[in-house]
Amino acid sequence: MNAYTASFAVSCFASDRKGVDTLQREARLNGFFADIEKRALRIAEISIRDRDEALDLGQDAMIKLARNYADRPDDEWTPLFYRILQNRIRDWQRRQVVRNRVMVFFGRGKEDEDYDPIAAAPDPAGRTPDEELQSHEAMESLEEAIGALPGRQREAFMLRTFEGLNVAGTANAMGCSEGSVKTHYSRAIHSLRETLGEHWQ
Amino acid sequence: MNKRNKTTADDAFAERAKHLFDESVDGLDGETRSKLNRGRQAALAELQSGGRRWTQWVPAGGVAVAAVAALVVWTGSLQVPDLDVPAVASDMEILLTEDSLEMLEDLEFYSWIDLDAETIETDLPANNVG
Repeated sequence: MNAYTASFAVSCFASDRKGVDTLQREARLNGFFADIEKRALRIAEISIRDRDEALDLGQDAMIKLARNYADRPDDEWTPLFYRILQNRIRDWQRRQVVRNRVMVFFGRGKEDEDYDPIAAAPDPAGRTPDEELQSHEAMESLEEAIGALPGRQREAFMLRTFEGLNVAGTANAMGCSEGSVKTHYSRAIHSLRETLGEHWQ
Repeated sequence: MNKRNKTTADDAFAERAKHLFDESVDGLDGETRSKLNRGRQAALAELQSGGRRWTQWVPAGGVAVAAVAALVVWTGSLQVPDLDVPAVASDMEILLTEDSLEMLEDLEFYSWIDLDAETIETDLPANNVG
C-alpha cells in the first residue's frame, strides 16, 4: 500500500467514523426529546395557558438545542433545554404584554380569553368519570395557583417538582444560584399550599 | 407546626402535585402527541442539516458595524453630533434582537388585521342574510 492509498483509507475511515458518531448522537438526541417533550409541553402550557403556543415554544427549544448544544455531554441537555425553554416562555410573555398594549391601541380587547380548559382537557385514561373529574379539577386548581405565582417561583416549582431536576440542575436551567432556587421553591410551595388549602390534598 | 412536620407536609404536597401532573402528561391526546413528534423530527432535521438562520449573524453584524463606526470616529474622519449614546445603544440592541424582529412582524400583522376588519365592515351590505 503506497502513501496515497494509506492516506485515502484513513480519510475514508475518519469520514465513516464521523457519520457513525452523528447517527449515534442523533439517536441519543431523539431519545432525549421523546422522553422530555410531553412534560416540557405541559410545563410551557401551564406557564402560558395556550397549548398551540406551548407546542411552538417547545419545538423552538428543541431546534435550538439540536443546532447549538448537541455536542455537549448528554447530562447537560436537560438543564440546557429548560434554560432555552424558560427564556422562550419569558420572551413570549413579554411579547404578550406588548401585543395586548397594541390590541388596546387598535381598540381591541384581549383575545386570549377564549382558552377553554374543558376543550383542552386530556382524554380519559382508564379512570371512572368521578375520579377523572376529581383529578381534572384538582389539576385545574393547581394550574391556576401555579399561574398566579411570580415567574421565578413558578419556574423553580415546576422544574423541581414536575421535571424532577435537583437544586443544581434547576439553578443551571434558571441561570441563578442554588440558594435562590431553594428560596423560590420554598416560597412557591408555601404559597401554593396556602392558596389551595388543606382540602386539596 | 414544627419544621419537620412542615417539610413532611411540603413533600406530600409536591408528591400529590407531581402525581396529578404525570396523569395530565399521560392523558395527552393523540393529536398533540403527533404534533410533538413532528416538532421533534423538525429539530432532528436541523441537526442533520446543521443549517443556520440569517438572524444568527445579526449580533456579529452588529459588532462589525460598531467596530467600523468606532474606527471612523477614532480616526477623526467623521464628526459625530451630540447623541445620547446609551439610549442609542439600547435602541440598537432592541432593534437587533431576533425577538424584536419577530415583534415588528407581529405589528404588521396586527395592522393588517385592523385594516382587514375595517374593509370587511365597509364591504358588508346592511342585510347580509342568505
